[in-house]
Amino acid sequence: MIRLLRELWLFFRRDLSIARTYRISFLLEIIEALFGTAMFYYVGRFVDSPQLRQALPQGGTYFAFSLVGFVFLDYMNASLDTFDRSLEEARNSGTLEHLLVTQTSLPVILAGSALYPFAATTLRIGVYLAWGALLFGFPLQSANWLTVAAVLLATLLAFSGLGILSASYLLLFKRGNPAKWFMLGLSSVAGGMLFPVSILPDWLQFLARFNPVTYALEAMRAALLAGAGFSAVWRPLAVLLLFAAILLPAAMAVFSWALRRTKITGTLTHT
Amino acid sequence: MSEPAISVVSLDKSFPPTRSGWRAFLQPFEKPTVLALSGVSFEVQAGEALALLGVNGAGKSTLLRILATLLLPTRGSARIAGKDAARDARAVRRNLGYHAGTDHGFYARLTGRENLRFFGQLNHLSGSAANLRIAQLAEQFQLADILDRQARTLSTGTIQRLSLARALLHQPRVLLLDEPTRSLDAIAAMDFRRFLKSQILRRGDTSLLFASHTLPEVELLADRIAIIDGGRLLACDTLAALKLRTGAATLEEVFLRLTGHRPHSSEAVLPA
Repeated sequence: MIRLLRELWLFFRRDLSIARTYRISFLLEIIEALFGTAMFYYVGRFVDSPQLRQALPQGGTYFAFSLVGFVFLDYMNASLDTFDRSLEEARNSGTLEHLLVTQTSLPVILAGSALYPFAATTLRIGVYLAWGALLFGFPLQSANWLTVAAVLLATLLAFSGLGILSASYLLLFKRGNPAKWFMLGLSSVAGGMLFPVSILPDWLQFLARFNPVTYALEAMRAALLAGAGFSAVWRPLAVLLLFAAILLPAAMAVFSWALRRTKITGTLTHT
Repeated sequence: MSEPAISVVSLDKSFPPTRSGWRAFLQPFEKPTVLALSGVSFEVQAGEALALLGVNGAGKSTLLRILATLLLPTRGSARIAGKDAARDARAVRRNLGYHAGTDHGFYARLTGRENLRFFGQLNHLSGSAANLRIAQLAEQFQLADILDRQARTLSTGTIQRLSLARALLHQPRVLLLDEPTRSLDAIAAMDFRRFLKSQILRRGDTSLLFASHTLPEVELLADRIAIIDGGRLLACDTLAALKLRTGAATLEEVFLRLTGHRPHSSEAVLPA
């Protein structure tokens, strides 16, 4: 276990060291977050009405509702993208072969390579929310941070299964991220990102029940905007953990099979 | 007699046929029918250097990649220090260093030292042990001056030495080199060969299996030479024994007589 943590830390430190050589990019992201937050604030002001506020699950403004939906999309994007992007980068830079002949296994290499992107995304979300609270009245003071952390962790586990499935696809077919394409497409309509699921027709609401994004957003908005504790979000949390319990082992099994296939076909390091 | 450092027995490797268009989508599921290695058997003893000599596509890299656990054999076995490369890959990787002879494979934005420390620790060296080995290898490989420069600023020759240092960080028993001087100019290649000979082979504690197209390189470094053609091992012996067997005066003649290849012109004398 200690060795595993140490190996994971090595990847985090590697990516942090690389990121430190691009300092301007971090500054630009902070400015980009300001513009993004401002955009949601003014869209919110434009569409806000008493009827709209009543339709939102936690009440409050459309700005707060949509900003949480948007920053969460960033998190989902990172979960779905990170595994196959790290694999692709290693393949393109020629480091994959050298990583694979070390005594560290490929699942650890993948998990380790995902740590820094997750941490960077969490930081970016924090910057968005901080701009929202500082300049545009986002109700950060009402958040229950312990529940927020638990929801983020459960979300990360649930989405990582899909991310690893994507990496398996990339191992075999070299290009594309069908899990990301499917999840983003589904979630943009039936996930509750920019409008509540309750306004959808029945059949789309039914579809939304099978989308982990629905539960993650429900729990995240409750924890961030309404200060909900564990007792209030146990149901969406349990569903997210159920998704993780099914998806993670299945994804690991598929990944192992895909890795074996590429070692048979000789395409492991092909681009 | 002690256990061989490398043991390859009746090794076969086939790949699925290459497809284009929509059929390429099915390639991962196709049966491997294109033969790359057939019935290859040989051993490398501790401290011995064996060269794999063959034309492009002869199967040299495939063989090295099976031993490096990057490919699975179709039939037969490949062992390093008694461990099977297909069944016990992690134990095999503990005993091997692999150098692919390309001028990339490092994190461009990290320094040479950061790159070496990262790969050393992935091979289970502690932080202090990795630092100690990096200092030793930097002195031995004349890398001390460039260790704190980003990898992207280093010349191809320096990257090759850095890559060789990486392969040796965890003190493996076996070193696999795939065309180690492929991307070096003539002078850098000569330096690299001298360096391999004086710093690694003379010490006698590391076995070396390397693929090469360059005959002087093979003559300088190898104790024995394995000649591969069309995935088959045609001969594996000392240069003197190969000359005796073929009645040839030079390695070039040995190669041409055994493989049956003919140079495309009177000037084309190397089997590259």
